[in-house]
Amino acid sequence: MTASFTSAASVEEAIAALGDGARPIAGGTDLVVGSRQGKAPLPEAIVAIDRLEDLRGIRREGDVLALGTLVTHEDLVGDDTVRTHLTAIADASAIVGSHATRAQGTIGGNVMNASPAMDTGAPLLCFGATAVLRSASGEREVALDELWTGPGATSAGAGELLTAVRVPVPGAGTGSSYVRLEYRRQMEIAVVGAAAVVTLDGGAVRDARIAITALTPVIRRVSEAEAALDGSDGGADAIAAAAAAAAAAATPISDVRGSADYRRAMAEVIARRAITAALARARGEQVPVPASPALFGTQGASA
Amino acid sequence: MTATGTAAPETTYIRSDGIEKVTGTGRYTADMTMTGVAAAKFRYADHPHAKILSIDTSAAEALPGVLAVVTQADLPDVRFGGFTQDRTLFARDVVRFEAEIVAGVAATTPEIAAEAARRIEIEYEVLPAVSDFEAAMAPGAPLVHEDWASYVRDENIVADGNTFAYHTIVKGDADAAMAGAEIVVHGRYRSDASQGVPIEPRAVLAHWQGDEVTIWSSTQVPYAARAGVAQTLDMPEANVRIVVPLLGGGFGAKCDLHFEGQVAALARAARRPVKLVFSREEEFTAIAQRREGIAMEFETGVTREGKLVARRARLVLDKGAYCGEGGFLGQMAAMHACGPYRIDHIAVESFLNYTNNQPSGSVRAPTAPQVCWGLEQHMDEVAAAIGMDPVELRRRTLIEEGAEGPTRQVFDRVGIKETLERATEMIGYGQDLPEDEAIGVAVGWWPSMPAPSGAYVHINGDGSGTIVTGAQENGSGAVMALPRFVAEELGMQAQDFTILYQDTAAANWDMGSCGSQTTFNSGRAVLAAAADVREQLLDEAADRLEADRDDLELADGHIRVKGSPERAVSIADIAADGTVHGKGSGEVPEAPPVDAGGCVGRLGNESFLAPQLITQAAHVKVDRETGVVRVLKLAAAHDSGMILNRIGADGQVFGGLVMGIGLALSEGTILDEEGRQRNPHLLDYKLVTCSDAPEMLVDWIQIPAKGAGPRGSKGVGEPPQVPTAGAIANAIAKVLGRQVTQLPMTPERVWATANEVEA
Repeated sequence: MTASFTSAASVEEAIAALGDGARPIAGGTDLVVGSRQGKAPLPEAIVAIDRLEDLRGIRREGDVLALGTLVTHEDLVGDDTVRTHLTAIADASAIVGSHATRAQGTIGGNVMNASPAMDTGAPLLCFGATAVLRSASGEREVALDELWTGPGATSAGAGELLTAVRVPVPGAGTGSSYVRLEYRRQMEIAVVGAAAVVTLDGGAVRDARIAITALTPVIRRVSEAEAALDGSDGGADAIAAAAAAAAAAATPISDVRGSADYRRAMAEVIARRAITAALARARGEQVPVPASPALFGTQGASA
Repeated sequence: MTATGTAAPETTYIRSDGIEKVTGTGRYTADMTMTGVAAAKFRYADHPHAKILSIDTSAAEALPGVLAVVTQADLPDVRFGGFTQDRTLFARDVVRFEAEIVAGVAATTPEIAAEAARRIEIEYEVLPAVSDFEAAMAPGAPLVHEDWASYVRDENIVADGNTFAYHTIVKGDADAAMAGAEIVVHGRYRSDASQGVPIEPRAVLAHWQGDEVTIWSSTQVPYAARAGVAQTLDMPEANVRIVVPLLGGGFGAKCDLHFEGQVAALARAARRPVKLVFSREEEFTAIAQRREGIAMEFETGVTREGKLVARRARLVLDKGAYCGEGGFLGQMAAMHACGPYRIDHIAVESFLNYTNNQPSGSVRAPTAPQVCWGLEQHMDEVAAAIGMDPVELRRRTLIEEGAEGPTRQVFDRVGIKETLERATEMIGYGQDLPEDEAIGVAVGWWPSMPAPSGAYVHINGDGSGTIVTGAQENGSGAVMALPRFVAEELGMQAQDFTILYQDTAAANWDMGSCGSQTTFNSGRAVLAAAADVREQLLDEAADRLEADRDDLELADGHIRVKGSPERAVSIADIAADGTVHGKGSGEVPEAPPVDAGGCVGRLGNESFLAPQLITQAAHVKVDRETGVVRVLKLAAAHDSGMILNRIGADGQVFGGLVMGIGLALSEGTILDEEGRQRNPHLLDYKLVTCSDAPEMLVDWIQIPAKGAGPRGSKGVGEPPQVPTAGAIANAIAKVLGRQVTQLPMTPERVWATANEVEA
């Protein structure tokens, strides 16, 4: 049971508390819910960071969008830059949990929870986002694929606080999407998800990034899938090849949410839909945010 | 509208419990507290099936803050149960499912109680668990109840080993008729268990004063709970008072003595008020929260013109570890394997089997949605086999006035064919649709439930009124509508009345919120009490006004001479001395006669009084690649007799339809090999959300029902969920070209069916 709960008045105070062994809480949608479900007891000492204005807000810093660790999913869905240039993040943020989860849950908590099923993970990875970690001894910036070391595990030290997530903003000609298999329309958790970020140059794909969600112990990009699309015309054959490569990289488990066979089959379908939607957006076509419901029943062929 | 007769006027009415519920000021059982209240926690079985060798509570009792630890050894040695007395409050010698209660702890805080419960040391001899409810009846299967033969049971129950109850419905000679049939169609379907999932988890607060106990409980059946406490703690019913604060839903999952006895025993031992509040996981695994898994085989003989000549069916149901109140479920399922069809020759048998799974209970229209889902898909297969449109097949085979039911019950005028026409019209049956969309249709039925009830209506000295009823409000609004009925009888306004309800010390016995019976029976009693008041008012007014009783009318809070409104006396004046009290029960309608001589295991369901008849149609879209199904539109046309409260009745259908979507597509309890639930939480037991609710169209075929509920009404509450899954299934099958034979029809199962792989 929690013995100590403090609300930090400054980032320095929060970091000092972490150094003394406290764990941070922001929205509480993972920590509190998990403890009530018996997943993990609440930490002995908790430091609340939810009142730290310095950690709030979305700021454009040159070619980078800096997301304060307290930015909520709802903030992300409503941000023009995110919707226009980092659309896959908007897709993902719009379908996390419920209305209440999106209003309460933060990007920082989401990233540090390091769930292989987190919706914003695949888009952030594809955009090349980095985590800004601050501790008493200074600040460092870590790429997300170096931060996430396993399900629920990160390379951050106990004394480090995630203060921001920095996302490079791509230029014109880039489109992105995140698509998730959805059994129902709210309160859903990823069983299979995929993100794609593609840049078109003339008619050809100049850059392709594809990542898969809930299909591997850690959310990861699939270079074979990216290679299948990169340099292609972005047509149906290339999309199919990339989707097949994404599915081949999946190492799904069987559980109450679905069998491994079903997940593997869905990996290909969902990856294909994500790539198709990203290409459509790169071409300037309208695909609504979030993409998943809009693509329900899409029977394969490119948009 | 094909309606006959007239509906009650459609007015907006403000439910007297509405504002507190909507604004969050309402108090539910878990919100109740008392000075010195202690917290209860249960210690559950550590194995789904095991002999208890010893229980050592000393370490628990030694924990500071622990006030009492209770086991069955501290209580009267009483077995209880609705049709078979097979259970004790706490496990005595054997545990038979994962959430069986072995001991209870009362402590100063819930945390201490939980820790003490963990510290109880129990030695077991683990027994093989029987989770597969079909394998449970195989020769040599381990017995869930070794002493089953010695149990006290209803004399009409036919039991054998793990088969808790065996039933048949027999009419004519099905074997001969099947042999002579032009075409015979077979079908096999299997449903998983699913849950009631009321949003309010169970809570109980017990408080003793001398040898009397008051128990606040989130129950649908306070009088059954009272009787159960009296039986298990060996005390008079008069000494037990059950009060239900606001009830946060039930859906049949709160229909029995559940935990009132254990908490009362803990409170007596602790010499303190004791409160139990369930977690969501406890709610999922507790006794009687779930529907049965059912394996169904159907065989139908049919002519090429669509006449049903014979039906054979075999049903195997998963009762789980104990009877609870659900001893009748096998017979009910057998009636649903016949359905509201004209069939000359029938042979249906059902096996209600014990397993080491969670015991099942009367979740909304128990057994009907699952069996209807299987049967209605089978009927579509029959239609396909003779090349007939499935709606046309139903048009030719549904019951009508004068037709004989499965037990030769002769039906009065029934509106099921009108519901078929109305539902298909509302949904636009026959329209051209994209290849991944289709419309499916299903029909179903459900009996109205005759039962005694009693009520009082007091007119207070100022002319306001108090209705005292044993009825239980489960959220449907059935009790909240009672003032309107009384006001209509007395020429008063609904808001002139308050209701004293769900308190066993206040009113006569009532069956509770189950069996779609509140308006049907409690409504009858309240109207009878209002009529008693009306007679008293007319007598007194005739004296005072020196008028003939027959010339008087009740209107606007007055009794006045018809045609001379100035000759009037107010109800308040007559009631000023506080002597106007009415009471009533009304006559309980009788079940229609049947010829069920060939049927085994007759528990009363062989006769369907005032059957509620339903057609629903579903327009769905299927994502063949993923198996995800979205329901785009539902149409429901019901014959529930005359509708007394249109807003309330429509609300029941909207809720039932959405619940039906869940049953159809996502709600299934997944068990491990020993019967433990693998998804006892709301993340992986997937309820339907508001965002999934489709457009819903509702209409009523209003035919006054003879010998049924008040003003020609039938029941309303349970049928809305009966055919929903069947309609959705038939739509999915139309898109895929084959049936999905497992319920729920999850995306993976639909995908597997579409792609012909093993799910």
